[in-house]
Amino acid sequence: MNPFLLYLFLVKATLTSFSGATSLPVIQRDLVETHHVLTLRQLNAAMAAGRATPGPMGLYVVSVGYFVAGPAGAVAGWLAMITPAFFIIPMLHYLGKRAEQPAVKSAIQTVIMAAAGLIAAALVPLAKDALASPMLIAIAVSSFAVLVFTRRDPIWVIAGSALVALAIALI
Amino acid sequence: MPQPRLRTIALLFLKIGNLTFGGGDPAMAALQSEFIRREWMSSERYGLIYSLARITPGTNILALSAGAGWDLAGWSGAIFVVLAVSVPTSVLVALLTAGFDSFTSNRLAMAAISGVIAAAVGIMAAGAYLLIKPHLRRRALKTCVIACAAFLLAAQFKMTPIQIFVLAALAGAFWRA
Repeated sequence: MNPFLLYLFLVKATLTSFSGATSLPVIQRDLVETHHVLTLRQLNAAMAAGRATPGPMGLYVVSVGYFVAGPAGAVAGWLAMITPAFFIIPMLHYLGKRAEQPAVKSAIQTVIMAAAGLIAAALVPLAKDALASPMLIAIAVSSFAVLVFTRRDPIWVIAGSALVALAIALI
Repeated sequence: MPQPRLRTIALLFLKIGNLTFGGGDPAMAALQSEFIRREWMSSERYGLIYSLARITPGTNILALSAGAGWDLAGWSGAIFVVLAVSVPTSVLVALLTAGFDSFTSNRLAMAAISGVIAAAVGIMAAGAYLLIKPHLRRRALKTCVIACAAFLLAAQFKMTPIQIFVLAALAGAFWRA
């Protein structure tokens, strides 16, 4: 896939997401299911790469870009990630405090609720690909629990999971 | 309010944007306290930029950076600050991804990577849960109905995410819980 077309697909995903990994379902639909330029395994790995580095969750788009089209794809991913940020400037300029209107606030809130349902739907095939053994299921469940019940940094969850999987492979 | 120099602004974002683990929220909190401490903006102004950043599409902290950079130093401020926040970590992520391909031939590296990928599934599930957790307490019914409807429309009826988001926005404009 050429990097410009890839940019258009990725920016479609980032422009329609409002928080964390809510762009995931769009990317999965376009690049994995429709155009077959990315595998589920690569998408999973991209999510992990995005979380294993400091900075925002949205960084995984750079990794997705690299998987699809190499370094030029990574640049396309980076551009797609930063493009929507600049929309805040006209908003600051013109919208001001209108964003506090109840109807607008409620619409945004409801989109975030829908995003959680969409992420869950997108996770079903990803989990089928990634959780091939009871040990891997245990890792996924404990990662979920650590993040929900403690304020631990995800980097420790990722490092710990790598060590556990490595230790079990060595034994 | 003192007018900080572009270089000072970019350096602050470079430091906080690239050294704070754990996603956008801790980094935004760190930026907030730096702005107030250095008297670059009032906490009211920060509050406006923050709430607009939450409704700007894409990554919240990038929108916050663009908005604050613009506020402090105009368009060049916005551009320099977004570059400072996003380039170093993007290069790191691209290098990690490049490494992934060369690891696939090594059995032990692959074992570690499959562990990391399993953790990513748990992390994403936690992310989805944490997204709705604050709403689950105050508007539980609406949260469950909307999240389940979105799940079904996506998984069973294969609707695209954008169609679902438009439906959700319309529903939200009328159903204010």
